[in-house]
Amino acid sequence: MNLSDSERVKSVIEAMGFTPTENEAEASLLGVLSCSVRQKPIDKVYNKIYVWNRQKNHRNIITFVSGCVLPNDREKFLKLFDFVFPMSELNDFPNMLKNYGIVTPLSLNHSNSQLLEGGNKMIFPLPSTTGETPFKPIKKLNQNPDKPILPVNQDIFGLWNVKPSYQSSFEAFVPIQNGCDKFCSFCAVPYTRGREISRPSTDILDEIKSLMAEGYKTITLLGQNVNSYGLDREGELSFAQLLQQIGELGNQLQNPCWVYFTSPHPRDMSRDVIETIATYQVLAKQIHLPLQSGDDQVLIKMNRKHNLDRYRESVGQIRELIPQATLFTDIIVGFTGETEEQFQNTLKSFEEFQFNMAYIAMYSPRPGAQSYRWDDDIPPATKKDRLHNLSETLETISFNYNQKLIGSQVKVLVKDKERKTGFLSGYTEGKIVTRIKSKDVSLIGKFVVLQVTEASGFSIAGELVL
Amino acid sequence: MSETYHHSFHKILNVRHLTENTFIVQLERNGLNFIPGQHLVVGKKGDKEFRQYSIYSGLNEPYFEILVREVAKGSVTPKLKKLVPGDELEINGPMGYFTLSEQRRQSHPIVMIATGTGIAPFHSWVSSFRDMNYQMIHGVRKSEEAYGNGAFRKDRFRLCTSQEINGHFHGRVTEYLKKAYFSPDSLFYLCGNSEMIFDAMEILKTKGMNTNNMFAEVYF
Repeated sequence: MNLSDSERVKSVIEAMGFTPTENEAEASLLGVLSCSVRQKPIDKVYNKIYVWNRQKNHRNIITFVSGCVLPNDREKFLKLFDFVFPMSELNDFPNMLKNYGIVTPLSLNHSNSQLLEGGNKMIFPLPSTTGETPFKPIKKLNQNPDKPILPVNQDIFGLWNVKPSYQSSFEAFVPIQNGCDKFCSFCAVPYTRGREISRPSTDILDEIKSLMAEGYKTITLLGQNVNSYGLDREGELSFAQLLQQIGELGNQLQNPCWVYFTSPHPRDMSRDVIETIATYQVLAKQIHLPLQSGDDQVLIKMNRKHNLDRYRESVGQIRELIPQATLFTDIIVGFTGETEEQFQNTLKSFEEFQFNMAYIAMYSPRPGAQSYRWDDDIPPATKKDRLHNLSETLETISFNYNQKLIGSQVKVLVKDKERKTGFLSGYTEGKIVTRIKSKDVSLIGKFVVLQVTEASGFSIAGELVL
Repeated sequence: MSETYHHSFHKILNVRHLTENTFIVQLERNGLNFIPGQHLVVGKKGDKEFRQYSIYSGLNEPYFEILVREVAKGSVTPKLKKLVPGDELEINGPMGYFTLSEQRRQSHPIVMIATGTGIAPFHSWVSSFRDMNYQMIHGVRKSEEAYGNGAFRKDRFRLCTSQEINGHFHGRVTEYLKKAYFSPDSLFYLCGNSEMIFDAMEILKTKGMNTNNMFAEVYF
């Protein structure tokens, strides 16, 4: 989601005349899109802003933070950043800068306005001669006592209307939904992103049609609960209907493309969604369905609103209707009070569901989440052991699956070049990481056919079929 | 959900203290629409801490209410307890899926099982729907915690008291469930702490009840 948000931030900033730089020391406008799912990314934001604020003593820089921010962190950020705003107010960012005294990028450098690269770049050499900021102070956001503290998600439509500056020419991310009404006890997202809001399907379909026509090879539909799509808007398409329309677009345009979505919630994973994926070629046969725990008691404590039987039903439908689909999941080990027996149930669930990939996290309490008030009573060493055990099981299962692909031919999207070997890398429709014995970088962004010759725990390798 | 989403401030009309640490906050409706069983995210105006509360009152009241139990050293409830009429709360919602469709309540016996303040959504249901064929089983420590029991028909209400013997049943709600009979086509709605919900579901499963007919709202 942050990648998609950043493409829209980039678009708004570029429209003001700034251009991006990889070199932080050259930048005059520095911002962060934060993520509150775990504490570590928030800690990184604090580290970053302390460094930037020290640099303000000898150069003119403006800082901002947006994204997924808890009310308590927002309060602290207001004292550290020049601008703190929710993503839903991105459209107003140019006005905020203007009110700050920055009308153009040149305004950021009073003594030396020479641009580094051409006339419209955002990169400036900005040695401050005085050490003083030339900008007038502004009233920062959220200091108005009549302004709600929680995010007002209705404003998100403005963000969605920003045409993104796509970072890749072959992989695109399209937000379809924002927010979460599920209130899992370990998660603070409902307090940072607000409630579930669906983007109008006409806008989504327009963006996807345009991306498909431009030849994008993968499109990922994004949202905190993608398959809750449409539940908040009377008369809107359901998620299955949206997928169906996308499937029809794929049939019309006939440009090879894989359409993914992340993340769905097991509670809303209906049979008609799975049937639709099975029906349309353009809908990728890879499903990421977060389980979080393989124990019913833990699932209740996590307030997941699904149990193992419900999850089992969905996986059964996937295996029945899309037997070739790969299955990914998310797991938290060491959640408050998780007993050894409960962890063993999660291990058993891996054997049962035969996941191709699992993003396994050790539980850490997140301020703002319900479980933050509970004892984090599983020792770190136990959490590490459980993570290790589960990862080993996953690797065995994944290896067995990958090994069966040896000798077969698979379609692969070439994504990158490996730095060490110079060989190409990519992934299959099922998102299995693939190493390609070729150094032909002109293939990046293209589909190729690969003869699979090797398999390992989490990847396959092979040679191009000419 | 098709209900109008609210994100606004609501003035407190009344605070009724039921026990030493449990109280009902009544707020101006201010256009808030909801489906009985849904919850709100609630915080004191200007505060950074929020908690979720099921709506306690019925759909047709000119106000809405939440049932709050003060948590010792909590970061929200002690502040809520001190509020007086005229103070404002920030309200975000309604949201949630712990609702009862007309089709379900017309075609199945409804068994509602709650502990403590988990009775709130059921209180909203029975205050809103007069046509329910229901049983209400409420587990509490003492009979003074039988919050809002006047809203339920006496012949359909069972109070399980674990620390007193003056309820309908002396013991935990789970002990009651082990002994009770339920029609196999019953729909079970459970609201309360996660341990009770898990244990109750296990007991109902051993009685041959279908897990697809069990719905839960976890309170923390």
